Amino acid sequence: MTEVMQISAMEQGLQGCPICTSVGSAEKTHCNRCGSKLHAGWANSIQHTWAWLATSVVLYLPANFLPITYTRFLGKETESTILGGVVTLWEHGSEPIAVIIFVASVLVPLSKMLVLAWLCLSVQFGSNFLLPQKTRLYRITEFVGRWSMIDVFVVSILVALIQLGNVMTILPGVAALAFAAMVVTTMLAALAFDPRLLWVSADKGDRV
Amino acid sequence: MVAESSMVCHECDLLVEVPRLEIRQKAYCPRCNYLLAANRPYAKRVVFAFATSGLLFLVLANAFPFLGFSAKGQERTVTLLQSVGILVTENLPLLAAVVFASIIAIPAMFLISIIYVSFSLANERSYPGTRKTLRWAVLLLPWSMAEIFLIGILVSFTKIVTIADVALGASFWSYVLFTICITVVVLHLDKRELWEHVELLRHD
Ligand SMILES: [Zn+2]
Ligand SMILES: [Zn+2]
Repeated sequence: MTEVMQISAMEQGLQGCPICTSVGSAEKTHCNRCGSKLHAGWANSIQHTWAWLATSVVLYLPANFLPITYTRFLGKETESTILGGVVTLWEHGSEPIAVIIFVASVLVPLSKMLVLAWLCLSVQFGSNFLLPQKTRLYRITEFVGRWSMIDVFVVSILVALIQLGNVMTILPGVAALAFAAMVVTTMLAALAFDPRLLWVSADKGDRV
Repeated sequence: MVAESSMVCHECDLLVEVPRLEIRQKAYCPRCNYLLAANRPYAKRVVFAFATSGLLFLVLANAFPFLGFSAKGQERTVTLLQSVGILVTENLPLLAAVVFASIIAIPAMFLISIIYVSFSLANERSYPGTRKTLRWAVLLLPWSMAEIFLIGILVSFTKIVTIADVALGASFWSYVLFTICITVVVLHLDKRELWEHVELLRHD
């Protein structure tokens, strides 16, 4: 494959439908084949991504610093944050599980936000630095983001099962909701981001 | 105009000619290596069979005890829906809605949509709303989180086993089978091929 043949659809006045893969004119706002809304307003992709990103950053704080569960054990109540839960798992000898939860709940959301912010900035500055790597990074981000929901499901199962009145009961904290909302908003941020813009702005940068 | 076989890479916007694929052949983007199309053997039949069984297993997953828990002489058994419902009684209805949607409602809607489209294709006629249904199925897919829920259950067990015994109900195993089915469906779904077939359907 030579470089010469690699021309973006956008430069040829074309666009592909993300839902049904049909190819049509770049000016169309809706797809001929499936009726889906297309990326006609491309200028908005970056702004939408920033908006969802900002929302998820705001949600990230309560999700991590407020209690995600309350444990009532023999009349005493203790609260636990996401990080607290990781530490408890580690202390009880479940190191691999502690690592999984730490990666899924703390590392993945944080790196996802940083990556998306970096990608938005690259588009805005028309950078063509590490393009294939950035594209792959976006794909990984899009794929991995959903897995952060693990902790929300862990909490819901713990709450559902451990209901033994005063002996032992686990209740969900507001952080669980904030966390779920944070995962949803980072997913929406990734969906709003149009990875083609990375290549389009770089193509332009090459020629200027 | 553009050739029928053209595709725009979802990742890098490259316009690519995708040749007719032989069985078991896959087409990757020459610029960014994204998987553009795949021709998997018996894809249509596999999709229909596994979507139908998946839906059946999801129904069964709601019909029997899901998980059991016993500690200090006390026992507790919950169904799948009860385990979501408890979040409502604990004042987090929004969280319950997110969990219910991602582990039951959205996967169910996805499978029903796929079954409906498969019926259209099998009978070679376009039932009302076939295109809209297929569009929704594609849009819903990232929000279906059955496999993540299963991993979440396993993780919560490692937290519980230190203080109590956990029992796996018949519904739990149904949910495992349902997750396997939906994964097989997703792996055999080729958007490009599916839409090409849907476009060729008769309207009446
Ligand atoms: Zn379309
Ligand atoms: Zn590509």
